[in-house]
Amino acid sequence: MSALLAVEGVVAGYSPSDEILKGVDLAVDSGEIVSVIGPNGAGKSTLLKVVAGLLRPHRGRVRLGEAALEGKPAREVSALGVAFVPQEHNVFPSLTVRENLEMGGYVDPRAARRRIDEIFVRFPALADKRRHAARTLSGGQRQMLAMAMALMVAPVLLLLDEPSAGLAPRAAEQLFDTVVAVNGDGVAIVMVEQNALEALAIARRGYILVDGRNSKSGPAAELARDPDVRRIFLGG
Amino acid sequence: MPREIAQLLLNGLMAGTILAVPAIGFTAIYAVLRFPNFAIAAHLTIGAFAGWLANVSLGLPAALAVGVAFVVAGLAGVLNDELILKPLRPAGALTTAIAAVALTLVLENVVRFVFGNDLRGYDLPIRRDWQAAGLRIAPQQVHNFVIAVVAMAAVFLFLAFTRTGKAMRAVADNPMLASVKGIDADRVARLTNFVAMGLAGVGGVLVGLDTSIDPLTGFRVILSVFAAAVVGGLGSIPGAVVGALTIGVGEELSLLVLAPAYRTVVGFAAILVVLTLRPRGILGERAY
Repeated sequence: MSALLAVEGVVAGYSPSDEILKGVDLAVDSGEIVSVIGPNGAGKSTLLKVVAGLLRPHRGRVRLGEAALEGKPAREVSALGVAFVPQEHNVFPSLTVRENLEMGGYVDPRAARRRIDEIFVRFPALADKRRHAARTLSGGQRQMLAMAMALMVAPVLLLLDEPSAGLAPRAAEQLFDTVVAVNGDGVAIVMVEQNALEALAIARRGYILVDGRNSKSGPAAELARDPDVRRIFLGG
Repeated sequence: MPREIAQLLLNGLMAGTILAVPAIGFTAIYAVLRFPNFAIAAHLTIGAFAGWLANVSLGLPAALAVGVAFVVAGLAGVLNDELILKPLRPAGALTTAIAAVALTLVLENVVRFVFGNDLRGYDLPIRRDWQAAGLRIAPQQVHNFVIAVVAMAAVFLFLAFTRTGKAMRAVADNPMLASVKGIDADRVARLTNFVAMGLAGVGGVLVGLDTSIDPLTGFRVILSVFAAAVVGGLGSIPGAVVGALTIGVGEELSLLVLAPAYRTVVGFAAILVVLTLRPRGILGERAY
């Protein structure tokens, strides 16, 4: 079976001479959760931005099924079913929760109207706050809204950039439960996380990036047991 | 004295409402495109002259002249942005703002070349002022107030209830996220320019209906427009309304102690006070 997402030899940075990613590979099959972990500055977020179309790679290929993604603007990547949830600034603060969801489904307003009701069933906390401005939400609710906005387009691939960053343990736990539930609907997920143990616990496979390069990859459970991984990323 | 103050407050409220229309345009462009577009001055003048042509040369009523001014100034705004300001935006907000000042000078001189320097008035019936409780108000002031309120209400309804209006607010909030969600930022920018410069044009007609117009009409009010937007909070549309009412009332009340020629000092003073004490303005979300 060919991968849903295939990233091959991607070199990328924020200026022509800048190489944050120095030849990264990543493959994601339909319906699986893949966690990408690594120290700060390893290029994890940059990798997601390349896939989402926010950053054009200097070299390398990014394919979604048969479609080449590299060089496509974010708008076109999104239309192909790739939904990106940035780590910060991932909601529109002055818009209400409902308006945020409408913008999440901007590309298909008719489907969006139907989908908002489904989203409110899945995220009852958001339903209660539907008329509140997103800036009034708690950190956990905001991350939920960001994910719910991404789900408005019924994506085939969800890219989550450190979804648990800054959340209290309980809110982070709820969020990981939601990630698993969303994946249960058949959405493939690439999740970049600092919270390595939890990220590997819900993933099928994992990748470890160090200094812009692939360091290790394999089944998540094996990576979580790997002594090198535990020492470097998990503190023991 | 209390009656004099009440009269000035009433006049200030009327003037502030007119000022709010171009101030909304100014702040909307700032919210979406992140630069202070001083060319709103020239588009206010263009709208004033387009409305004057519609009213005086074509004999259209003032309300229709407002519509003509909106469309002409809006289209001029889109064209000028696409051809002149948009290519400069990657160079930064300061460069674009300076170019906008230069653009205003050029456009005002084009208007001067075509229409000359004469003061021109709209074709309006002469009517006696209304009086109540010792306060005077001209029917035309009320008329202008209604036009301004209708224009503002239309903008608020558009932003609150239409998909495109919400997309404009989304781009203003977070352009990167908007692009991820499939919102075409270029289209939103064009639409913002059209609506904002159209509002400047409506503001030009309102100034013309209130007094008279000449090629420097926009230049004379841009300071008050800018002050209104800064006082209310750059980028906040309700803020622009609050700021415009504050400046309008402030300018009128200044007549208690200042000669009319010096009332622009209120705008300068308001900008200084706000930037010193509350840089994000009365209703602004962010300090810039």
